[in-house]
Amino acid sequence: MTHRLLVTGSGLSVLIAAAWLSATPVSGQSPAGPAAAAKPYKTPRTVDGQPDLQGIWTNQTYTPLQRPANVTKEFYTLDEVLAAEKRAAVREAAVSTPGTTGDVHYSGSEFGLDKSQGTLARSLRTSLIFDPPSGRLPPLSAEGEKRAAAFAEMRKKLGRFDAAQNNELDDRCITTTNAGPPMLPYAYNSNYQIVQAPGYVMILVEMMHHIRMIPLEDRARPPQSVVALTGVSRGRWEGETLVVETTNLNPTTVFGGIDLDAPLDRPAPFRGVSDKLKVTEWFTRIDAESISYKFKVEDPTTWSAPWSAELPMKQTIGPLFEHACHEGNFGLYNTLRGARAEEEKAAAGEKKPN
Amino acid sequence: MRAKLAIVAVGLGIILAGTSLRAHHAFAAEFDANRPLTLRGKLVKWLVINPHSWFQLDVTGDDGKVVTWMIEGGSPNQLIRLGVTQKSVQIGGELVVEAYQAKDGSNKAVGKSFTLADGRSLLLGGSAPGAGGDVK
Amino acid sequence: MAKLLRGFGCAAVVGACLVFAGGQVIGQTVTYKAPRLGDGKANINGIWQAMNTANWDIETHQAAAGPILALGAIGAMPGGWGVVEGELPYKPEALAKRNENRANRLKLDPEVKCYLPGVPRDIYMPYPFQIVQSQKYVMLAHEYAGAVRTIYMDNHVEAPAESWMGWSNGHWEGDTLVVDTTGFNDSTWFDRSGNYHSDALHVVERFTPRSAETLTYEATIEDPKVFTRPWKMSMPLYRRVERAAELMEFKCIEFVEDLMYGDVRKPTRP
Repeated sequence: MTHRLLVTGSGLSVLIAAAWLSATPVSGQSPAGPAAAAKPYKTPRTVDGQPDLQGIWTNQTYTPLQRPANVTKEFYTLDEVLAAEKRAAVREAAVSTPGTTGDVHYSGSEFGLDKSQGTLARSLRTSLIFDPPSGRLPPLSAEGEKRAAAFAEMRKKLGRFDAAQNNELDDRCITTTNAGPPMLPYAYNSNYQIVQAPGYVMILVEMMHHIRMIPLEDRARPPQSVVALTGVSRGRWEGETLVVETTNLNPTTVFGGIDLDAPLDRPAPFRGVSDKLKVTEWFTRIDAESISYKFKVEDPTTWSAPWSAELPMKQTIGPLFEHACHEGNFGLYNTLRGARAEEEKAAAGEKKPN
Repeated sequence: MRAKLAIVAVGLGIILAGTSLRAHHAFAAEFDANRPLTLRGKLVKWLVINPHSWFQLDVTGDDGKVVTWMIEGGSPNQLIRLGVTQKSVQIGGELVVEAYQAKDGSNKAVGKSFTLADGRSLLLGGSAPGAGGDVK
Repeated sequence: MAKLLRGFGCAAVVGACLVFAGGQVIGQTVTYKAPRLGDGKANINGIWQAMNTANWDIETHQAAAGPILALGAIGAMPGGWGVVEGELPYKPEALAKRNENRANRLKLDPEVKCYLPGVPRDIYMPYPFQIVQSQKYVMLAHEYAGAVRTIYMDNHVEAPAESWMGWSNGHWEGDTLVVDTTGFNDSTWFDRSGNYHSDALHVVERFTPRSAETLTYEATIEDPKVFTRPWKMSMPLYRRVERAAELMEFKCIEFVEDLMYGDVRKPTRP
């Protein structure tokens, strides 16, 4: 594999930013097509004639999914973004206060895991969501509200450290949010390896070595009752853009939800998302180092309207290393054991005669 | 809606991916904020695994007995990309680890910092001001 | 011709002469020429699956009752011809360990815990896998546990660290994909019968198109800590020819959480 220079928050990244600026993020709702660029980019082809998306990519970014409350514009200036990144880098490198909960952690900086230590897929958007134009999620439908409330109720009753199954999917090493779809950045290692062969695009998500296999054929889908963590995807090329439609997502796991001991044949509804969920993604290579990635989320029984977001993917250094999470998940066991130890101590204290 | 998606991010630079916050909580449940330690010992092995790598430290007590500590660190994947591998890490030398002990009282801890005897970080930069660092 | 080959073993003739373990010859010289990819290499893309009982036991074995009474015949082991050439050349102390593994396989077999299968077990797990063949990488995507292997076709480097699936460097020899894998940890087994390896494991695999619907798979295993010499296994791999063959998801972690974390689950109050 080729080892590229690590792109960081200064110098080199300004050049990258300039290139990104020249391919200005497309605003509004039109999903596909390369944006206006200083020089028209011609995507190379794979040996079987597909536009070539292959390589190692990251979608790491500081841009939030939803527009902050005090912001009304759609784009920041490059200077504003660079300044924010500098502040974030300082914050990430800062020493946490001893004795606090936040200090009970390894230092991300020592392991190169801070966002400021790696390639940033910088966006000038004030939010990844561009539709609705408010940059915020559309309101939940009445049914969506009900489901979200029911979920919150159930969640309150479950002690996180009572059982493995009460933990987040990433703590259980089952999947991460950045496997998606939609593929939203993870806190670190938000890297993807895209490999193409005749009839297929394969996306290897580094975290938990998740495989997204996208056949380029509109085959029949399984019935709605058959779900998968990253759903069932069907892709097709529309000119230079790969369009992927995904259904059969597991409602309890989309957006990293929590499985509540639901029977496998009937996953419990997850805070507002139903099994009608459909995610459409558009991948367009806009230059040698960038892929434009847009997605639309539709679930008419959950949100009052579909919503769409855009985040770039930038080429980054490899290789991906095996993320054998489940095999090394001692922390989950230790945490549960620690909780049991504390309960036993407390119980022993109660039993002591006064 | 997922709590983390509904977070109202005020101003720039608020990190969206709230998983880092959740991870904080998981560590704080596994390890005890009230049991900080400074462990000084020989780095015997670096288990280059996910989701967290582990450092095996042999600590010699005042009584001369050697106690093995297992110290939890971060994912090694980005280090590998930066050229820090199982073979390149300094095994066998003295290591100083600021850590918090496991809640179950075992010889396990989470390593807040990993420092060589000469004060340099075992891995990258670290939080010590002026310490050498990764690509910046 | 076939008779000659049986008589003389692997004679040097045009194409490959294929002899399978247990003396079963699938026979004649391979003259099949696979279709080409755009880069001129043999196209071995597709969904493939082994059809044997190697995952139960890579050596020839008879049927046997399973360890879980309630599973009855479902949990029983089928009989099968081995895929290994000759006997497994264990060192004496290693053989003792293999036998101990076998006696405690319910506790020790990594497959029980939905752990990654390692190599070459990933190839003959009873689940399909997909080869996604490109130029810099050839990917093996496994249905079992979503295991995946990246085979690096250029810029070969050493494994940066140990892993469950090892570090695979590949190249083409004619129409054969040759994969050289090192950097294994010592945590996987070769089958459900306790056959195992150390972190010194080194596997060289050869994938050769045999017909439009089959590949020949051969693997040479070397592990000086466990075995006295290298040894070979081989088997055909069959293409899943259903019109819309597609890997299903077998993310088994949820199936084993009670097994693995049950003893630290909070007891429910009476």
